[in-house]
Amino acid sequence: MSSGALASLDRRLLSGLCWLLAAIWVFGLVLLPQLFMIETSLWWLERDPQATALSQRIDRLYQEVMLRELDLQAAPVERRPLLEDEIARLREEIALLEAREQQPVKVYGFANYARMSGLHLQVFLRTLAYSVLVTLLSLAVCYPVAWTAARARSRRGRALLLLALVIPYAINELLRVYAWLMIFDYEGLLNALLVRLGLVDRQSGGIPFLTYPFTTFVAMVYAYILFMVFPLYNAFESLDEHQVEAARDLGASTWLLHRRVVVPHARPGIAVGCVMTFMLSAGSYSVPQIMSRGLGGDWFSQLVYRQFFEANNWNIGAAYAFSLLLACLVFVGLVMRLFRVGIREIAR
Amino acid sequence: MNGGGSRAARFLLDLYVALFLAYMFAPLLVMSLAAFNDYPYPSVTQWGGFTLRWFPALLQDERLLRGLAHSLVIAAGVVAISLPLGLAGALVLQQLRGRAAGFLYAVMVSPILTPGIILGISTLIFWRELGVPAGKFTATLAQSSFIASYAMLMFLARLQRFDPTLEEAAYDLGASAFLFFRRILLPFLAPTAATAAVIAFLQSFENYNTTVFSIGGDWTLVTEIGSRFRFGLSPVINVVGVLFVLATVVFASLWVWLSERRRAVR
Amino acid sequence: MRFDRLVAVEPTDLDIRAGEFFSLLGPSGCGKTTLLRLISGFLKPTTGRILIGGRDMAGIPPSRRPTALIFQNLALFPLMSVWENVAFGLEARGVAKAERRRRAEALLELVALAGSADKKPAELSGGQRQRVAIARALAVEPSVLLLDEPLSALDLKLRQHMRHELRAIQRRVGITFVYITHDQGEALTMSDRVAVMRRGRIEQVDTPERLYEEPATAFVATFVGGSNLVPARVRRKAGTECLAETPLGNFRARNPQDLAEGAEGLLFVRPERLRPAAGHDNRIRGRVVERAFEGPFLLFTIETSQGQRLQVQWLNEGDVHALAAEVEVGFSAGDARILPPGPLADER
Repeated sequence: MSSGALASLDRRLLSGLCWLLAAIWVFGLVLLPQLFMIETSLWWLERDPQATALSQRIDRLYQEVMLRELDLQAAPVERRPLLEDEIARLREEIALLEAREQQPVKVYGFANYARMSGLHLQVFLRTLAYSVLVTLLSLAVCYPVAWTAARARSRRGRALLLLALVIPYAINELLRVYAWLMIFDYEGLLNALLVRLGLVDRQSGGIPFLTYPFTTFVAMVYAYILFMVFPLYNAFESLDEHQVEAARDLGASTWLLHRRVVVPHARPGIAVGCVMTFMLSAGSYSVPQIMSRGLGGDWFSQLVYRQFFEANNWNIGAAYAFSLLLACLVFVGLVMRLFRVGIREIAR
Repeated sequence: MNGGGSRAARFLLDLYVALFLAYMFAPLLVMSLAAFNDYPYPSVTQWGGFTLRWFPALLQDERLLRGLAHSLVIAAGVVAISLPLGLAGALVLQQLRGRAAGFLYAVMVSPILTPGIILGISTLIFWRELGVPAGKFTATLAQSSFIASYAMLMFLARLQRFDPTLEEAAYDLGASAFLFFRRILLPFLAPTAATAAVIAFLQSFENYNTTVFSIGGDWTLVTEIGSRFRFGLSPVINVVGVLFVLATVVFASLWVWLSERRRAVR
Repeated sequence: MRFDRLVAVEPTDLDIRAGEFFSLLGPSGCGKTTLLRLISGFLKPTTGRILIGGRDMAGIPPSRRPTALIFQNLALFPLMSVWENVAFGLEARGVAKAERRRRAEALLELVALAGSADKKPAELSGGQRQRVAIARALAVEPSVLLLDEPLSALDLKLRQHMRHELRAIQRRVGITFVYITHDQGEALTMSDRVAVMRRGRIEQVDTPERLYEEPATAFVATFVGGSNLVPARVRRKAGTECLAETPLGNFRARNPQDLAEGAEGLLFVRPERLRPAAGHDNRIRGRVVERAFEGPFLLFTIETSQGQRLQVQWLNEGDVHALAAEVEVGFSAGDARILPPGPLADER
């Protein structure tokens, strides 16, 4: 036997309840919806391939009906019920065949994924590339800030800095991005400033910042920076101050200190920050929706949205969504391998 | 700031942090300012004079107000669903060891690592197949799928600090599993549950990406704001922003004040 | 009981009498906690049976055994008040609140904590928390109270005080106490009987006096109290006594295990039984190599010309400062025993 107490009935009951709830969550809210999405991405509706032959048959049947109706008018009374029966039978058959003709058939295959070619594939790849850039940019921007916050001497200073980082995050994502829209728009703050300085001609209508990818970058870094700052901060904070002092004492430069001591220690934090930022950027719908408004080229999420709610083609939309999910999974896997981090450490 | 380094390097770092904070706060300032501009479109460059008229205008905006009501209903639903699910998940994980635990853990945190729009889409498709149209219900479930993961992580962290001998002591004294759960485990988890509830509520209230894909013809405050970006903006949106900023500042100050006081008591 | 393939507790017949204070004494890892958990029902035996009051406990969970456990860390419920802790077992049995409170207060009175009913455990001192744990365990009116090194977290003074307290409580309530400890002082001062355990095996079960005076094995001799062991051989048997041949000479000693002539053994004498030589048959000369003054007595080590070291303990009668550089010590045959060879307690 193994160790473990004698589990009584009520303990098994409680544990069973926990398993039940966990199963509802894992299957009902996570796995089954994903499976249904994948299933939806693997079929589409098509006209029945035999539809032409069917319509010819229907046409023939219609002509027969017409003939019988002519016969009916000419026929003697005693033959009429027979003809009427026949006509009714023919009409029934027509109705049946017409229903079949209009009924599209479900066809399984990978065609929905193949639809992502040309422009859509370009958008997909560009979105992934931009998301990697946003991730690297966020890492570069946040590293010094998180380091400063984690090494702040006074508790108070540290708390205030953290508070300053958190406050913008309590404000809704859309409104945060909207604030940048007001800066970068044609009539925005930046253009007004440039006009005032005489760097831009008022008549030209200002510089079209919103058509440049960097504006989306700036807003996106802004929108998701906390997801980089906090994992980094937690990782830096758990580094023993004495290790830093020892490295300094042994004459390490700032570069060497970070390369050999800080970064190896903060591996999991950096990995988590990168994974979260990439995932949020690649899947972001709000930021490109607000910032580019179709001016600066699409983000992949916008394509997905249109497939669902404008083209109303859920099958293609599901295929695109699953492609995005796969890309994110691959990225997570790559980062975890690169930083040699396990799934247990990917949790804040 | 510490970590040695020359005085110049430290100055540069401090300057950098100051710039960073400006980057964080300047846009909010610009956005807030436009809420007080007497001009029909949100702007700070075309100054039409100071006004408060956009504030009462917000109260006239029925879609925004109903969106707020919907947001509150959905957030309450998310709290009611994701807390029990997250707790059950954490308790199940605690019972498991080895490979099975690792696998289940990965499945349970996967919603956090999945783009929000995909959670929305998969929920939308799943429930349509079951004949349930998109609406507040599907939005609630889509949000709960990942918010439960956050709750699970918080409960798991707390459970790891639970003294297992307390469980044995309770059983030794004749307690049933339910009495142990009610009288010992739940009180121990209560502070975490409170924090998790607040976080779940805020996550739900603020959510856009998942909600916009799963809510169908219904709307929340946030998706309504999102649709305004397509169909015409007015400074009323800036007013909403100002209210968000105010609420945040009030709550943050309250939090700082409370924690300072708690430290003073000890 | 087995942990995987490691045998944690060897087949053992152990009979604990109703109403006695019984201790399980042994070094850490000897299986005494396993034995306790078997009795309380948190572990299931692979083979063998556990009977309490003649009733077989197989299949009965801890919550329904007539035992109550006091944990090493006490396991007081930190969020409940003292009286709620004490009354928890009654709550589990569905006793009404007023009655619970009344009985909890009566028990708190018993352990001299009447005024602390509404405090939280964290507000009490170590000794007070100890007493709460006892009251909590007694509340369910167990026929056996199991105590798992409950005094180990206390400081020395409090520990000594609690020994008397525990013993007094046991006399008052009159139920069986099974007490686990690795501290021989605790076991000897409190117990009616003690079982000494080594590596999952019970070496000897006896009263404290007999355990000290008549250890059955070399392990018990060395684990309980101080000891001197010298390799020996039985030269000649004479009734219960024998002549033991050792590198230090031949000595008369008792032969309780009835070792045969020529058998190898260990000659065992307690340090305080090595007295000034005058008037003894058995004598040993040695150089004093170490001395430690301990107030009421003097502890010193002598080394014989053969290089054998012996521990000696003399009562301080005001003359110990006069200890010479070389002394002769002696012991009576009744104070020396020849024991079969076997493992020793490894602390020395």
